[in-house]
Amino acid sequence: MFRYTFQYATKTRIVRGLCFRRGLHNPASGWNAVIGLEIHAQIDSQTKLFSDSLTSFNAPVNSNISVVDAAFPGVQPTLNEKCVELAVRTAIALGSTINKRSTFDRKHYFYPDLPQGYQITQHHKPVSQGGELVLATHDGVPEPMQVRIEQIQLEQDTGKSIHDMRPDMTLLDLNRAGSGLMEIVTKPDMRSALQAGQFVKKLQALLRCVGSSNANMEEGSLRCDVNVSVHKEGDSWGTRCELKNLNSVRFLSAAIEAEVQRQIKVLENGGIIEQETRGYDVEQGKTFRLRGKETARDYRYMPETDLPSLILTQEYIDALRNSMPELPDAKRERLMQQYNLSDHDAAVLLSESNAAEYFETVCQGRPPKLVVNWTTHELFGQLASKNIPFTVNPVSTDQLGSVLDLIQSGSITGMTAKNVLKIMIDEAGSRLASDIVEERGWKKVGDELTLREMCQHLMDKNPDKVASIRSGNTKLATWLIGQIMRDTRGLADPVTLNKVLEEALGVKLDDLNNVSHSKGKKSKKKGQ
Amino acid sequence: MNVNTVGNQFCRRLKPTLSARIRTLSTIAELNKLRNTHQADANDVLKECWGNIKDRGKAINAYISVEDKDYLQQQASEAQTRWFKGMFRPWCLFMQSILKNSVDVSTEHPITLGQAKSVVDGVPIAIKDNICTERMTTTCGSKMLEDFESPYDATVVKLLRDAGALIVAKCNLDQFGMGSHNVHSHFGHVNNPKNTDGHFHFSLESLPSHQRSAGGSSGGSAAAVAADLCFAALGSDTGGSVRLPASYCGIVGFKPSYGRISRRGLIAYANSLDTVGILAKDTHDAELIYDLLSKYDKQDPTSMLPSMRERIQQEYADCYDTMDPDSLKGVRIGVPQEYRVKELDESIMEIWRMGIQKLQKLGATIVPISLPNTQYALPAYYILALAEASSNMARYDGMRYGHTAETTTSDLLYADARTEGLGAEVKRRIMMGTFALSAGHYEDHFLPAQKIRRLVQTDFNNVFCMPNPLLDDAVADLSNTSKVHAIITPGAISTAPLISKCIPEVDDPTQHTSVKSVDGFIDDVMTVPASLAGIPAITVPAGKSTVDGWPVGLQLLAQYGDEKTLLHVAKLFQS
Repeated sequence: MFRYTFQYATKTRIVRGLCFRRGLHNPASGWNAVIGLEIHAQIDSQTKLFSDSLTSFNAPVNSNISVVDAAFPGVQPTLNEKCVELAVRTAIALGSTINKRSTFDRKHYFYPDLPQGYQITQHHKPVSQGGELVLATHDGVPEPMQVRIEQIQLEQDTGKSIHDMRPDMTLLDLNRAGSGLMEIVTKPDMRSALQAGQFVKKLQALLRCVGSSNANMEEGSLRCDVNVSVHKEGDSWGTRCELKNLNSVRFLSAAIEAEVQRQIKVLENGGIIEQETRGYDVEQGKTFRLRGKETARDYRYMPETDLPSLILTQEYIDALRNSMPELPDAKRERLMQQYNLSDHDAAVLLSESNAAEYFETVCQGRPPKLVVNWTTHELFGQLASKNIPFTVNPVSTDQLGSVLDLIQSGSITGMTAKNVLKIMIDEAGSRLASDIVEERGWKKVGDELTLREMCQHLMDKNPDKVASIRSGNTKLATWLIGQIMRDTRGLADPVTLNKVLEEALGVKLDDLNNVSHSKGKKSKKKGQ
Repeated sequence: MNVNTVGNQFCRRLKPTLSARIRTLSTIAELNKLRNTHQADANDVLKECWGNIKDRGKAINAYISVEDKDYLQQQASEAQTRWFKGMFRPWCLFMQSILKNSVDVSTEHPITLGQAKSVVDGVPIAIKDNICTERMTTTCGSKMLEDFESPYDATVVKLLRDAGALIVAKCNLDQFGMGSHNVHSHFGHVNNPKNTDGHFHFSLESLPSHQRSAGGSSGGSAAAVAADLCFAALGSDTGGSVRLPASYCGIVGFKPSYGRISRRGLIAYANSLDTVGILAKDTHDAELIYDLLSKYDKQDPTSMLPSMRERIQQEYADCYDTMDPDSLKGVRIGVPQEYRVKELDESIMEIWRMGIQKLQKLGATIVPISLPNTQYALPAYYILALAEASSNMARYDGMRYGHTAETTTSDLLYADARTEGLGAEVKRRIMMGTFALSAGHYEDHFLPAQKIRRLVQTDFNNVFCMPNPLLDDAVADLSNTSKVHAIITPGAISTAPLISKCIPEVDDPTQHTSVKSVDGFIDDVMTVPASLAGIPAITVPAGKSTVDGWPVGLQLLAQYGDEKTLLHVAKLFQS
């Protein structure tokens, strides 16, 4: 019945299945992996962390730069309060203890995309310390677990070096230089690639919910460095390697898995693990060495004396705490209770930002079951088939509501409703369902009298078939229904039609749904 | 020169006599009195100034770049128009002067500005070349920024321009402010314009062996003021860079409290110590400029907040109310014994003693005080300042602006640009600062230096009767007779040394000077504690050395934010 939905669900299942297998891999061999993450999330503020340049990442190269971002002589950083607010909100969401006094430091290294020659960060006294994120089974891990947070710090992003556009040249785009980042460091609490992957997914959802980051790995608004080590059960922890430049959750999991396997192999062959930084080759599914410990930088951390300590008052923190959005776990709980949703439905609604709000708005005065089906299955499915992300979903809550209202009042069939929705998506306008149904003449033919006449007419024309049905070949009734559906362009109300036909034939027919189901599938295929 | 004569001469012939007066009547305050009585003209002031620059600018080498003459003339004439417009009252005075054939400008007539923008409208002022200006280059005295044109005006420059000041030139300095004798400049060293008899050398170039240091790093700014190349100049003071040159050149050098004046546009040497400073002919002028510049600036995160400014005003109000404008009665001045360092010249000691006597005569009570951590201040300063400097210099990589190496010897673009673009002293300081921040040394050097800095601050807090407004729990201790309102110390350990004694041998081996590159550090010993503590300090001319006849300045210090008391004492001391 719901082809797209089916595909959607299958996709998820495949991904989860893969992760699951990976996750199970380690303990079987007697090896344990220890994994910690350093996450850089770009703060979703309008302007940069220390200047008033815009943070629009799609702007033409080098168009959003101020003298501060380009580190001109004589300029000073001025702290963007919005970035502080979003970092504090994130800290609250992660249950992290907010430092009422935090300080900024300079981290030195030379690189062309780092105009100052140092990055302003919070090395000695970060904005918050501690906290945790709990992963439950519905988050996709086999056993509930918690990942503790070490600290959250504010820091500047670098510009972008583009090495592959012109031969022998490195081009620089400083648009990103000076944008705000939150560095979220976890304790080494994860034991498998699956856990790490699910942690990142859950963190992404949390950051989006708080509004502090788009947290998109593919676009680079969330970047993960992973520390991985392995050890034999009962031994002390091994030497860790750092994985860098991973640009999706999938590659993150795959890279961790590959690195764990590599380390186990090295150790099993009597080798030793050197502390080093490694990248991940997607093509080969292997990690490779980027640089070793001997070339590790001495960052020469120093207090940033241009910036006074960041002082946060209890009132400020309380005010933010009292104006926090409902966090995903709490929302999930509430949705399931309030609307009697299944685990799965709640998860699907929460997987897209604002989908839950969308659902709740449509739900007002309408049955939740109907709304959730039409939101998660039909709407998500149609959007997915057209590659439209939910964030730019063209169907307003009023529009979807209007579709559901017509279904409920029995004015249109489910089939018609799907088509109406399709038109809404294609038009990306604001027309309500009634308008579209009116224009297309799609109002359901549910009038018993009309249908009875049509049935009679059809039976009169095909006495042999009627005889056959009456003698027990009830499957032929499908053909009759198909004829009437064709004549009414699919607008006949299947329930009424079934009833009328039964009466006219004087025979009990099969479950009507099966019939319309197969019919629906067929027509979709034709449509493609 | 008697100002009355000026009035007389003025009445006889206006124009030709004026420019000759300006040179000797060249404080801003006096110029304003003359302008009030319509006896001075911004155009003539500029003309005189321009003449001086042409006459002796080259020999002194105080300026790295000079503003376009036509532009300045236009600015001056606009300023003059503004002055003239609101001149009703002065005009009456002028008529009176014709009737009486004299105007007594020495008596206090309140200065009326007419429609002039401020007291410095049309007044030539020079800017140290590490302060950004949109017009002219901002070189920092370096090859690295030889052609650098700032896209913006520093806040202080903007404030001066808004006040109508003529920004005439950019002053020579030690590269990026690193130096005490202005010998570390890509544009050559600055010559001290003061000769032993108080007149000017007009043949300085012919007497290289007699050339004396103008001090550093604001040597160009100090020399320019001393040689009448401008009325006042802005410098920067990180560890004494305004006060030391002022002492050597016999003028006033004022470093306000850290944060009083915006640093936006002051190219950082050591952010936690850098302060825009004022070089002026006398204390009154320094105060006039200070009043224009002491403004909160939201673009400088270390700028003193308006709330703090108000708080200081309120907390000190009691004390200010009882201040006697004509004497120092009730004012206690501290003399710190730790400033009698072994390097201090006997002739300076003598001047210090005389200065103390003068303060006593003015009614002040002299209190011996102890600042026990003074001896650690200099090493702590050089660790902190150089650590910050090594960090601040990182941006000069030749990528976005500044010097780029023409031929690169390797892939290391940065190394070539920096090797060529930065001077020897800057490189030495970067290396020392980098060392202090390196893993392992941070704990051994940087952190102890920070602790000493706190101790030096505590020393000052312990002796001042005014509370430090930065400390929440500080209370005023005005009646405690062992605590002081201000402190007097020498401004330098000697008079201006010979230039040849200031150039390290490593930089010029042909001279066989046997001067080590760190020898100049000791010259900052009198000035560094105030920088570490962030308190206001002013060096005021206090006489001439009986040994060599060169000028000596004494330094006055006051509690953080207490510029008012400091300037009050300084003005009376100078009178």
